[in-house]
Amino acid sequence: MKYSVIYFLMTIIGFTSCEKIIDLPLDVAPKKYMVEATITDGKGGCRVLISQTKNFDEDNSFNGISGAGVSLADDNNNIITLPEVAPGIYTDSSITGTPGKTYSLHVNINGVSFNASSKMPVKVTLDSLYITEDNIFGQVRKTPNINYTDPKGRGNNYRFVLYVNGVKRNNIYIVNDDYSDGNFSSIKLFLFGGDNKKIKSGDKVGVDMLCISPEVYKYWYSLNAGATGNNNAASPANPVSNITGGALGYFSAQTVQTKLIEVP
Amino acid sequence: MIKAIYLTIILFGSAVSGYTQQKFTISGTIRSQRTGESLIGATIKINDAGTYSNDYGFFSLTMEKGKYNIEASAVGMQVQNIPVTLDRNITLNIALEDEQKTMENITIIASSKNRSLSSPQMGIERLTTKEIKNIPALLGERDVLKTVQLLPGIKSAGDGNSGFYVRGGAADQNLILLDEATVYNASHLLGFFSTFNSDAIKDITVYKGGMPAQYGGRLSSVLDIKMNDGNNQDYSVSGGIGLISAKLNVEGPIQKDKSSFLVTGRRTYADLFLKLAKDSSLRDNVLNFYDLNAKLNYSIGSKDRIYLSGYFGKDRLAAGETFGLDWGNATGTFRWNHIFSNKLFSNTSAIFSNYDYNINIRSGANQFDIFSQIRDWNLKQEFQWYLNNRNNIRFGFNTIYHIIRPGEVRPSTDKSSINEALLQKRYSWENAIYATNTWKFTDKLHITYGLRLTLFSILGKGDFYTITPDGEVSDTLSYRKGQFVKTYINPEPRLAASYQLNTVSSVKASFVRNVQNLHLISNSTTSSPTDKWVASTNIIKPEISDLFAIGYYRNFSDNKYELTVETYYKTMQHQIDYRDGANIYINSDAIETQLLFGKGRAYGIEWQFKKKTGKLTGWLSYTLSKTEKKINGISNNNWYNARQDRTHDIALVLSYQLNKKWTLSANWVFYTGNAVTFPAGKYMVDDQVVFYYTERNGYRMPDYHRLDIGATWLLKQKKRFSSELNFSLYNAYGRENAYTISFRESKDDPEKTEAVQLALFKFIPSISYNFKF
Repeated sequence: MKYSVIYFLMTIIGFTSCEKIIDLPLDVAPKKYMVEATITDGKGGCRVLISQTKNFDEDNSFNGISGAGVSLADDNNNIITLPEVAPGIYTDSSITGTPGKTYSLHVNINGVSFNASSKMPVKVTLDSLYITEDNIFGQVRKTPNINYTDPKGRGNNYRFVLYVNGVKRNNIYIVNDDYSDGNFSSIKLFLFGGDNKKIKSGDKVGVDMLCISPEVYKYWYSLNAGATGNNNAASPANPVSNITGGALGYFSAQTVQTKLIEVP
Repeated sequence: MIKAIYLTIILFGSAVSGYTQQKFTISGTIRSQRTGESLIGATIKINDAGTYSNDYGFFSLTMEKGKYNIEASAVGMQVQNIPVTLDRNITLNIALEDEQKTMENITIIASSKNRSLSSPQMGIERLTTKEIKNIPALLGERDVLKTVQLLPGIKSAGDGNSGFYVRGGAADQNLILLDEATVYNASHLLGFFSTFNSDAIKDITVYKGGMPAQYGGRLSSVLDIKMNDGNNQDYSVSGGIGLISAKLNVEGPIQKDKSSFLVTGRRTYADLFLKLAKDSSLRDNVLNFYDLNAKLNYSIGSKDRIYLSGYFGKDRLAAGETFGLDWGNATGTFRWNHIFSNKLFSNTSAIFSNYDYNINIRSGANQFDIFSQIRDWNLKQEFQWYLNNRNNIRFGFNTIYHIIRPGEVRPSTDKSSINEALLQKRYSWENAIYATNTWKFTDKLHITYGLRLTLFSILGKGDFYTITPDGEVSDTLSYRKGQFVKTYINPEPRLAASYQLNTVSSVKASFVRNVQNLHLISNSTTSSPTDKWVASTNIIKPEISDLFAIGYYRNFSDNKYELTVETYYKTMQHQIDYRDGANIYINSDAIETQLLFGKGRAYGIEWQFKKKTGKLTGWLSYTLSKTEKKINGISNNNWYNARQDRTHDIALVLSYQLNKKWTLSANWVFYTGNAVTFPAGKYMVDDQVVFYYTERNGYRMPDYHRLDIGATWLLKQKKRFSSELNFSLYNAYGRENAYTISFRESKDDPEKTEAVQLALFKFIPSISYNFKF
């Protein structure tokens, strides 16, 4: 937001800012484990990814950690062990979760264990997905919109994932009902910040609507505020994780709905 | 409390010492002949004794019976010598003439010729608008806050930013006063300009240490800005047209010699060009600000004078219908000066101060407004008692009622997806009493000792909380309207001493304690109009700082040059920081759930070498400093560099009077980059690269340096009309200074990550035209 304003200011004053890629000597830190675990109300949504941090100058490929013991349990203590299907990827596509149930995750990597639990929230119906044209500080942009009606009672949290022509966009869209409890809501998935490539007519736009728990909301909120690398945060920091034992990442029991449209 | 009163009595006991010689008092006011403006800090010298005029131009000096020659001087004014025979008490009103500039004889006194070697006051810098006039500025907007940043120990909050840090303090730890009214947000356009229109300003005094007891409420500094009173001799209109704004100033007598008015306005107009744009998406945007300063003053007889001054400013930012944000300050001050006797001067001020912002969102089903406000009602009473030549006493009280409305969300239609959410109003009552004496113990040793006692009461109605170490509310206590929730009592000792080594040099030492009960909660690196002011609560404790400083002062070549060296050590208690993942805009009254507390320390040494007279004037300043914080819950509770920590800070400011027509100027600044947090690694979350951090503020931004040059061309200078053109080039050698450094997936190769530096201002030329008639 603030950057848009600064650019806008620079434009009207008639001067341009300048951006350049620089070399920074960054320290190398000891590796840390990263656990990204989800269970959804749909098939194929139960997946645990285990990796390790990489140095800044290494490539961005997934640094999977093999040989971990990964298990999931529901409130009735039914324990299922997830097999490793590819290096660092542990999944059982047949497992589905149920809203209202609490799931716990146990991961053991070479004797170090990480635990987390997450309660799958109620599923809120995704009403519609449509495109509007919005003027964002001097630029007209096609913007995807999501409509839904928040149920009464505070504590509903949402995350939206945007795909354009099948490619996931790296913008983090999270919403809670702190200020909008019980209301019809329409959310604009603005494209600014890091991933601001325009949406054009004919593009296929898809949106996943995830209902998430408050801890997972906080994870994404703090990740967006402090760890994406492209913000104005006073103090970048690692996101607040719901996993105990010192791993990065999160465990989310979430519901999923998807809509797809072609941009008019 | 009892102890404090007892202490005050003891302190003043020493002030009353017997004397036998017959003595008389000479008192009066000192003004400008041309405008009738009172002169602040003018020097009145009689032989070796001397004094300075106060904020209203009043002075009082008691001497033994005899014949004397009084020498009166002030910056930019001709020295006047007045012979007096002191055989009774005398009232002497002095009017000084403007300094004449002639081709052959250019003697410019750019700043007070003799920085008081004998006064115990340290850590003080005074500027008049005459001094800042020639300093080149970004987009030609002369700006007092940016000039202040060129002084040693005062650091800019960023490229082109009007925010500043003083001796390791945060930006909210500066008390910014405009005619005594607190200005809560001193910036326009997201920090690029300050709210102070230099045309309306008479005098700026910065205290970066050794604050006198009449000031209190912020930890790091006091920036006391005084508006012009208005010309009571003649009507005058002046103005200027610059690249981004136009200014107009009208002043004149209501009754000559007795009363005057002043109105000064400024408005930016860059966005007016937008209206001409063909593209409607550009045309509908708004980005502007304006300021309005007004003042009236009236002398009632020879003993009373009243002043009414006001400031009103507003910024507006809008993107079509979708988004609107406006913010601004409003202040009003009513003052009454009364001269009880030739030794007792009184000022009573009733002050109003307000800051608010308004956000309007009209986007789909999101139709709502957000409002937030901080408002003060403030009464100050001060007496200056020129007891005798050895003791100069000030005492008084200050009472402020603060009302904070932290945030009010209101849907603008009943179809809005946003519910009404009104955070509780917060009420507090801040009281202070103080007394201080400047005591000339011997001719060489002068001591200022004083005490300020602050009582800060948190009042109901409202809910107050108990919070677990994890930041969860564990208990809520509700208070009735007007009920006292808690009162914090803090004595603030203020001590300073100076010892004059010889006629050209002195050493000084001081200790001050400051207490701050209003805290700015800000999540971003630069100031934002939506930063949140919160008062101390049962959980947020008053911030306390203790500052020790010693300094060495020396004049050279008959006061042409001046060297100042000060070193300080400061500790700060109850400092505020944020929990990881904090959201300061939560819909909850318990803002404390988002905060962490700890302490800070800062130390450094500051040098300034100044050339005060001649064709070439200016200064070189260098600061070597360190600022650290230790917050429970951050960096494993270890000390870490505060964001404003910079090792080296250099400023060179020069102004050269080439001839009668041309003045050239330049300033160059260099500083070590701020402490900053950079990633130690990366990992993938949901197929996206995010960054891994191991320590807070473990890195530095690149070094910053910049040269600005300027020239002023005096087109015409007649008695009735003068005009000039100002040229400036900001960042003259085009250094790309890092405004931010961000990290992202490479656009060319998504398999790689890269660090990207954004630089904002590079070669910014500007021109402005100023006139006066």
